[in-house]
Amino acid sequence: MADPRKARAPFAPWDRRELPGAFDVAESAKRVSHYKWIEMKLFEALGGWVATVPELDVKMRLGTHCYKHAWHAELWHKRLPELREMNPDRLTQPPNDQLVAFVDAMTEPEKPELTIEKLVGVYRVLIPHKIAAYTYHLNNTSQITDAPTIRSLRFALSDEFDDWRDGEMLIQSLIETPDDVERAARHQARLETLMVAAGGIAGPGSIGLPAEEVAP
Amino acid sequence: MRRHLPASELARDERFHTITMRDRMADPRAGRGRFEGDNGRRSNRLTPDLPSASEAARSMMHGIFVGEIQALEGAGRTCFDFDDIPFALKLDMARQAWDEARHVEISVKLSAWMGTEIGQFAENTVLFEAACSADPVMRLAGVNRALEGLAIDVFTTMKAFGELAGDPFLEFCEDWMLADEVTHVKMGSDWLRRLTESDPQRRAAALEFQSVVDKLFSYGGTRSDSDESMIGLARRFRELAGFTDDEISHIADVSDEALSEAKARKQAVRAGAGA
Repeated sequence: MADPRKARAPFAPWDRRELPGAFDVAESAKRVSHYKWIEMKLFEALGGWVATVPELDVKMRLGTHCYKHAWHAELWHKRLPELREMNPDRLTQPPNDQLVAFVDAMTEPEKPELTIEKLVGVYRVLIPHKIAAYTYHLNNTSQITDAPTIRSLRFALSDEFDDWRDGEMLIQSLIETPDDVERAARHQARLETLMVAAGGIAGPGSIGLPAEEVAP
Repeated sequence: MRRHLPASELARDERFHTITMRDRMADPRAGRGRFEGDNGRRSNRLTPDLPSASEAARSMMHGIFVGEIQALEGAGRTCFDFDDIPFALKLDMARQAWDEARHVEISVKLSAWMGTEIGQFAENTVLFEAACSADPVMRLAGVNRALEGLAIDVFTTMKAFGELAGDPFLEFCEDWMLADEVTHVKMGSDWLRRLTESDPQRRAAALEFQSVVDKLFSYGGTRSDSDESMIGLARRFRELAGFTDDEISHIADVSDEALSEAKARKQAVRAGAGA
């Protein structure tokens, strides 16, 4: 047995975590506040749509996914005070008006025959952008100082990948004709244009430099 | 998407048919309305020895299935319809949406297990109508306390049915759903108290609405303490869900009243036919 009093390195040889990170406390808080805002808008929309989709399998999936995004919003809500934002509601803001326009357009479809549009907006546009922004944060923030955010990002990303797969398979099962393909592509292009104008779910810099370092 | 979707616009596929509560209750396959007892039976409780037990159990399970769809839709709408309700209430409603989605999955599988097809029985949308109020407190009273309370009674009855019928699959699933419903009622009771803490008038109005819904769902004497009703009042689980003794007694009274009214209606029909 090893001598328990023998001096050991504070970091095991296999622990390669780095101290430096791209985000300071304020930048991480700002991003987290935008994450909370978009998760809220997403779970509200999914919940609202449940009653408007006639397809039983889609209805049940939307109900399930609704909770997952609510849980993500709760994770971010709890993280904000730890990042010195003592009033999480005050910082729960969209990054810009363009993202509000995106969410309005994504949430707009209501009629029962518009299930493809509802699903395309969430699973072909918003969720891929969430995966991108969360992955960027995960890969660039300090692995030691911002570890609590990293833990929540990993939980959220696990759900996002599962839900994206669910949603994409539902879309593929609903698209049966060239007209359906056209409908889906048209709606995706419209929403993607709005998302590009917003710069991503956390605004410009969502998957690039921290927002304040982005040239106007 | 609009806020506040009317019940008439609930989206369904071609297998679903909507009828009124009265028509739903009049469906002879449900096995209701035999207040004098069948074949010398002294109870109308849904048990395997009821002559129409298998059809009645299928009807009840299909009723649970469509009820769970509407409960899912109602919880989802409450997430979307309001900007000014507490964040934590929205989170609870989202959680309830997930729970109800699982209940839809469970009841679809149980229905198939019992030999029922989707749409074999018709649907009435009274449950969702209770979730359409513009006041979230009314929704909590009508859905979480009255209807989810009824679900506690129904699941307790179905769990006992599974146990008596030697169907561990049914008993197992009903017990899991029962656990969720107790949580939903408790959630509703807690939020109702918190949201009306400084507004006794609003609380009184909400409790009155709950009473109306409780009576509506005792329609035809379907649910009461009396053995003449198919579904009993699950007092113990209601206590666990946070109902006080007084509240349970009130529901028992309302249910008895509904049973008496149903019996009187039946007698009147008979008298009319004999005249």
